[in-house]
Amino acid sequence: MTSSSDATANSRRTISRGLVTVLIALVGLAVLGWLTAPSSMSHGALLGMLPFASVLAIAALGQTLVVMQGGIDLSIAGTISLTVVIITHEAYGDNARVLPAAALALAAAIAAGLLNGILVGRFGLNAIVATLGTNALLYAAVLGVSGGTPRETTSLMARVAGGSTLGIPNAVYFAVLATAITTVVIKKTVAGRRFEAVGASALAAWASGLKVDRFRGGAYVGATLLYWLAGFLLAGIVNKPTAYEGDSYVLASVAAVVLGGTSLLGGRGSLVASALAALFLTQLQQYVLARGDTYAVQTLVQAAALTVGVALYTINWKRLRSRHRSRALPASA
Amino acid sequence: MNEQTTVAVVPATMTLTGITKNYDGVAALTGVDLTIRPGEVHALLGENGAGKSTLMGVAAGAVTPDAGSIAVGENTYDHLTPAQARALGIAIVHQHPAVMPDMTVGENIRVAVPAAVLRRDGDVEKTMRAMLADVGCAAHLQDRVESLSIAQKHLLELAKALVVEPSLLILDEPTAPLGPESVNLLFDRVRAVAAGGTAVVYITHRLAEVRALANRVTVLRDGTVRGGGETADISDDELLALIVGRKLDSTFPPKVTTDDKDEPAIVVEGLSGRGFHDVSFTARRGEIIGISGIAGNGQSALLRALAGLEPFSGTVGIGPEAYGSKRLRHRCGYLPADRHREGLMMSLSVRENAALSALRLFTRGPLLSSRDEAEAVAGQLRSLAVKTPSQQTMISALSGGNQQKVVLARALLSAPAILVADDPTQGVDVGARSEIYRILREIAAEGVPVVIASSDAKELEGLCDRVVVMSRGAVVQTVEGDAITEEALIHAAVRATGHRREEAAAGHGSTRLRRFLLGDYAPVIILALVMLGLGAYVYATNDRYLSAFNITSVMTSCAALGFIALGQTVALLVGGIDLSVGPLAGFMVVVGSFFLNDGRSAAAAVVGLLLMLLTGAGTGAVNGTLIRYAKFTPVAATLATYIALQGLSFLLRDSPGGNIGSGVTGVVTTQVGPVPLSFVVMVLVAVALEFGLRRSRVGLRVRAVGSSEESARRVAVKVTGTVIGAYMACSALVFLGAIVLLAQLGIGDPAQGVGYTLSSITAVILGGTSLLGGRGTFIGTLLGAGLIVQVLNATVFLDLTQTWQYFFQGALVVVAAVVYSRVRGAGRSPL
Repeated sequence: MTSSSDATANSRRTISRGLVTVLIALVGLAVLGWLTAPSSMSHGALLGMLPFASVLAIAALGQTLVVMQGGIDLSIAGTISLTVVIITHEAYGDNARVLPAAALALAAAIAAGLLNGILVGRFGLNAIVATLGTNALLYAAVLGVSGGTPRETTSLMARVAGGSTLGIPNAVYFAVLATAITTVVIKKTVAGRRFEAVGASALAAWASGLKVDRFRGGAYVGATLLYWLAGFLLAGIVNKPTAYEGDSYVLASVAAVVLGGTSLLGGRGSLVASALAALFLTQLQQYVLARGDTYAVQTLVQAAALTVGVALYTINWKRLRSRHRSRALPASA
Repeated sequence: MNEQTTVAVVPATMTLTGITKNYDGVAALTGVDLTIRPGEVHALLGENGAGKSTLMGVAAGAVTPDAGSIAVGENTYDHLTPAQARALGIAIVHQHPAVMPDMTVGENIRVAVPAAVLRRDGDVEKTMRAMLADVGCAAHLQDRVESLSIAQKHLLELAKALVVEPSLLILDEPTAPLGPESVNLLFDRVRAVAAGGTAVVYITHRLAEVRALANRVTVLRDGTVRGGGETADISDDELLALIVGRKLDSTFPPKVTTDDKDEPAIVVEGLSGRGFHDVSFTARRGEIIGISGIAGNGQSALLRALAGLEPFSGTVGIGPEAYGSKRLRHRCGYLPADRHREGLMMSLSVRENAALSALRLFTRGPLLSSRDEAEAVAGQLRSLAVKTPSQQTMISALSGGNQQKVVLARALLSAPAILVADDPTQGVDVGARSEIYRILREIAAEGVPVVIASSDAKELEGLCDRVVVMSRGAVVQTVEGDAITEEALIHAAVRATGHRREEAAAGHGSTRLRRFLLGDYAPVIILALVMLGLGAYVYATNDRYLSAFNITSVMTSCAALGFIALGQTVALLVGGIDLSVGPLAGFMVVVGSFFLNDGRSAAAAVVGLLLMLLTGAGTGAVNGTLIRYAKFTPVAATLATYIALQGLSFLLRDSPGGNIGSGVTGVVTTQVGPVPLSFVVMVLVAVALEFGLRRSRVGLRVRAVGSSEESARRVAVKVTGTVIGAYMACSALVFLGAIVLLAQLGIGDPAQGVGYTLSSITAVILGGTSLLGGRGTFIGTLLGAGLIVQVLNATVFLDLTQTWQYFFQGALVVVAAVVYSRVRGAGRSPL
């Protein structure tokens, strides 16, 4: 018997499985890159990759929040696309209008998050249904704003989001900051810890007095803030972003979350791992490109990485899942 | 009793030898031997957690033992599957009915009972009605099981078990939810089947029932056989000693002596709510209040109200202040009966579980202080003597007793105004029990009112200063001080009622209209009306809307989406989802574009079609296998195949190419008047699928798995095979959609098809199929797909931009989902 008094000494937070897995994968990819496709690890290649990795990382953070509540957010596509088109179309060629445009985009994003949150938290709709509907509404707005045509970004946006400071792309600073803030909010504040508890078991959280639907719905609002940031950066990084920039982030963000070790069934989320998994996925793309392989191979490699990644976790999380599946049946013993 | 000697020489119906079963390292059964003979009623006695249900799970094939053997007739098995057990004539009535909530009473019967049995007397419906009447179940065959009362579900279970005329019938605490008439009926039935030579195992913890029914009795305690024998040869006291096996008195802390002049610590007056009414009691500082009664007489409901989890009328005063529901929820420490579901976050650590309700105390500025938290939790864990390797240990790794102490620790850290515990020592080992008693006593001594419900009257006798005995949701007696004895409590409960009142639920307006509204076809009518309305409106503004050309083009678009959406419906019905349908359709077109060109032989075309179909079968098999064997969630599994299929499309063709031959296109686009053949085929397929879903065994199994995987498994449905089959069927339907797409696109384009994933899900949602699985219709999906295409087409005629197309799609999904979920009520929501 170990007495509980030892527990105080052992109070350091243990590093999550997901983080270890992703870190090993990242190191492995870097080594593989140096050995077999050195151009993928060149300075220029990394500088070109990092802004996109940063955007995906920020989007994946948002998706992680939703997945922690057992949800999934398909409206990430519409939110990012809408942010991009509002900023590029409202501030077309006029740096002074970037800030009001960004604020307008933020308001639109929050509205979308609230709609998702109310549909899921209050009306108890399935997350796929709710966010699918919201996404279509968002795209209605995207086309309303842009008419489907791309516009060039402003010079200010290009400098802020697409530029570099101290030799590192600005987007990286944004991504690191977003990861740090989100992690601190989830792991180190009262609301964040309750948020995690609601994700782990809504029933138990409710029985201990937490307002479950607010946390469930709130996840979408929190996520939307991060999608907005991702869209904001994208509007500066890409010279002439299309009206559908967000589309590629649906699957990629879910893939990053899953690779990062957050279960799609909800529960504890590993935010840092999600962000690093985004880096891994983007660099994997870069590596395959540097080897001269086609888009097809690149996509297949992603699918393989995702499958292997998920399989790693499912083997260990088997017990958790079987409990989830048989939740209607209390233990017969 | 002469017959007993004869019974003894008859070969046993079932012999269990050396059965051992561990759950997560905790022994549920250890070396249990049990012989069950034909024609006897064999009572299996024991406390909660003694291993009775697990043992019978082994006998019925629901539980695979770690060791031991099962002999049935002349054969010996290591373990049984539910299907084997059923074939051997073993029927079990579970304590938790193995029913599919989304299916009707009739469908539940048909999926569980072999068709031959139901057709025995010719008319299946008649047989089903007769078997329900036989056990006194008043439910209508068309009632959805979800809407039945618990008692009715149990009677349904019983009817299913009896109709197969089993050689071994296992009843797991069958009388708990039943009213007196049903109980008498049940006893008659049990005696009748036993007289007919069936062996009956009767699990209970009521001695009276043992006396009333059983020939022999076996007592289990802590997963081992403690004794047993002929019922006539063994006295109640002997049985009790075997069940309990310890002097309970020694483990309880001393009771308090209170002064009558003390201010009351808690005053409850006229409390009424769902499941209980007009409950009043008061207690003084330091007292522990017990809530007693036969299980299911409103005790848990009362405690939930006191914990602020259910609404109530009446007043609760703690100290000088009145507490409403909301305040109670925040200030009450609640130990739920179902610890794993309601008490703990099983995937979080000991510390995270313990600190949850007291987090505000550990803040420094806006942030939490790990050190404050760790110290407070450590202090609480120490004072409760929780045995855990560290605070970071997952709560799931702890024993039941230590888990319960962590729930207690959480309650205590939050400095509760009142502590409410529902069966707090259930599944807790003996040593930890007495510690929990001591802790509860200490909490009470500090002035916090403690209210405890327990199914064990002996426990209340030892622990409480005041016991409220409940029956039928009302207080029948309040026992105080030395008058609190097990006998007094049980006597009060039994004398007052005997049983729960008969529920009036049977006739609760199960009218034809109500059944329709709650049925699967309500969305179909709604959709049809919307489509007609929309059509009429568009036609009124533009009469070219109903031109032959437009009808053809709408129907052709509808055919491709329709097939793919029908496939998606199959995946959703088993409780899954298939994100890969879009890329799969695209990939099939690319595959086809290598074979189905002008100037290629018919053989090449056949090979092409076969390859397309094989691709589908393969994708379905991979999806199903990842989900069932590799334990992927459906989203993760089909996301992986989604990406892979896209890659494969681009691998075969990096740009559009391979014109589809006019021969193929011609066949697919053949028209009957303005109606394209592909559309007709699609509608026929939808109707055939609908018929299969309602009428065929396969259809019933698909819905059973989606509705409740666990229940489906227990009624011997092969869950894994059904799920994998469903994903393959989904892909096969996508294949049909891909053939239509071939003709529509006319070229192998690797970038096409992806969009069908989301539009197919949209169509299915509009059609009213539940994403939780188990309920839905193919006809609804058909109309859903039709509505999507109609809306897109209508925007053209109404001169609306693409913005409106998206807007209408989004609005349709949101409105449909909200309306359907409202109509069905929040019954399936987890809260």
